[in-house]
Amino acid sequence: MNGTVPARQLLDGCAAITESAIAAGCRFFAGYPMSPFTGLLENMSRRLPQVGGHCLNAESEIEAVNMALGAAAAGVRAATGSCGQGLALMQETIAELALNELPLVIVNMARNQQDYFQATRGGGWGDYRTITLAPKDVPEAVEHAQLLFHLADRYRAPVLLYGDPLIAQTHVSVDVAARDFGQLPAKDWALDGTSGGTGHSRQIWTWAMGKVSAPGPGPDRHWRAVAAKFEQIARDEARSETHQIDGAETVVVAFGSAGLFVEHVVDELRADGHRVGLFRPVTLWPFPGADLAVATRNASRVLVFELNAGQMLDDVRQFAHDRGVVRFIGGVSIHASGLSFGPLLDAAPIRSRILEATA
Amino acid sequence: MRDEVIITGIGGQGIQLMAKTLALAATRTGLHAMLASDFGGEMRGGPSQASVVVDDEQLRSLPILPAARSAVVMHHKHSAFALDRLVPGGLAVVNSSVADPAAIGDAEVVAIPAVDIARAADAPNAAGFVMLGAYVTLRQLVGVAALGDAMRELVPPYRAQHVAANLRALDAGAGAVLAE
Repeated sequence: MNGTVPARQLLDGCAAITESAIAAGCRFFAGYPMSPFTGLLENMSRRLPQVGGHCLNAESEIEAVNMALGAAAAGVRAATGSCGQGLALMQETIAELALNELPLVIVNMARNQQDYFQATRGGGWGDYRTITLAPKDVPEAVEHAQLLFHLADRYRAPVLLYGDPLIAQTHVSVDVAARDFGQLPAKDWALDGTSGGTGHSRQIWTWAMGKVSAPGPGPDRHWRAVAAKFEQIARDEARSETHQIDGAETVVVAFGSAGLFVEHVVDELRADGHRVGLFRPVTLWPFPGADLAVATRNASRVLVFELNAGQMLDDVRQFAHDRGVVRFIGGVSIHASGLSFGPLLDAAPIRSRILEATA
Repeated sequence: MRDEVIITGIGGQGIQLMAKTLALAATRTGLHAMLASDFGGEMRGGPSQASVVVDDEQLRSLPILPAARSAVVMHHKHSAFALDRLVPGGLAVVNSSVADPAAIGDAEVVAIPAVDIARAADAPNAAGFVMLGAYVTLRQLVGVAALGDAMRELVPPYRAQHVAANLRALDAGAGAVLAE
C-alpha cells in the first residue's frame, strides 16, 4: 500500500484517525503503548514510513511528547497521544508547547470520560488552555483529526482529540479525504537547522527573551500575548451540536460517545411523547457556554450525563445556573478490566436515568 | 437499514473473523458497515461477540446496540446479551450442533447444524463460515462470493491453507438455507 487512500475503507477508529492525520499532512508521531491508544501507535508506525514520515515508539510518554515537540519546532505537522494516564505525564510539556507557541495534535484515546478536567483545565503551569474536540463516533473523529491540525497551526498551540475505547476500536466504513480549511500563514518561525553563532539561528523559547543581537519581548509581554490569544480562541472556536432541541422542556448535556447514546435515547423518548433534547459540546474547551445558554433558554430542566463523577457539570452550571433544575445523571462506570466503559454507557440505563429525573 | 446482527459465541469459534468478513464484504460492495467487538482476554472459551450493522447510507449507529433484528448464535454460553436485545420476532440463526434452538424465545429461529455441515464439507474448523453463509442468504445482505473475497482479504498469509475450506463452508451454509 502506498500513500494513496482508497475511497471507502472499513477501519477502526485508530486506523481511521491515522489515515485522516496523514491526509492532513501529519508526518511525525511518537508514543508509548497503552490500551486503547496502542492501536493508534501501531497504525502510525505502519503507515507513516509509507508516506515518508516517521513514527517512534518512545520509552515513555514524557519522551514521546518531547520528541513530538522537537518535530513541531522544526515545522512538521506532528502528533502524539496516550490515554489520560499517559497525558498526565505529558502535562509539563503541553504547557511548554502552549507557552512557546508550538502546534501539536495530542490524541487522548481515553479509557473513559474521567479526563474532562485534565483536558479542559490543563495540568501544566501558566496561562494556557488546550482546544479539545470530543467526537461522538468514528466518522466525526476523522473530521476532527484534520480540523485539529489546522487549528494547531492556525493558533500555534497544542490541541487535543478526546477519544475513547468505542471510538478506538469500533470499525466503520469511512471515506477519508483531505479537507481544506483555508490558508495558513507560513511557518517562518520554525527552526531551520541554522546553528548558534551564525547570527541567523532561530529560537523557540517559552520565556521569549531572545538573543543579544535580537532581544525578544520577554516573559511579561509574551505571556500576556499568549493569554490574549487563548481569550480570542475562547470567543471564536466554541462548537456544539443540538438534537431535538425545539420545544424541549428537558435538555440533556453529554459529550463524546455518551452524546451519541443520549442522541439515540432522545429520539426514543421523543417518539414516546417526551419533550427532551440533547445539547452536545463538540469542543470541551472552549466550552460552548453561549450556545448552551441559548439551547436551554426555554427549558425547565438541564440534565448532565457524563461517565465520571461530574466534571463537565461545573461548566454547565456556569452557563445554565439560572435554569429551574441542573441535575447530574451520569456517574463513574468502569469495565471490569479498567480499560473501558462500564454498563452505564448503554441506551437502557441512560433512558431510565432521564425518565427518573424528569418524573 | 439493511440489518443489525449480534454474533455471539465463545473464543475460538471464529466470531470476530465472521463479523469482520461480513462488515468488510458489505463495505467492498458499496454498503456502509459498523462493527463493534467485545471479547474476553482468554485464548479459548471466553465470551466473544460482535455487533454488525449494515446499511445503504452512512451509519451513526450505537456501538453497543440497544436492539438487533438478527442474532447468530454459535454457542449458548454468554448468549444472553444478544438474545436479550433481539427484537421480538427477529431472526435467530442457531448453531444447532451446539446450542438448543428450542431455548430461544420469541424469534424466527433457523436451526443450522453448522458443525455437522462443516464436517461434511471437509471444513471442520469453519462452522462459523457455515453460519455466516446461512445468515447472509436468509437476510440477502451480501452475496456469498463477496463474503469469500472479504475472507480471503482478511485471512493472514500463515492461514492461507484454510481459505479453500472456508469457501466450501460459506457455500455449504448458503446451500443449507436454500435447500429448505
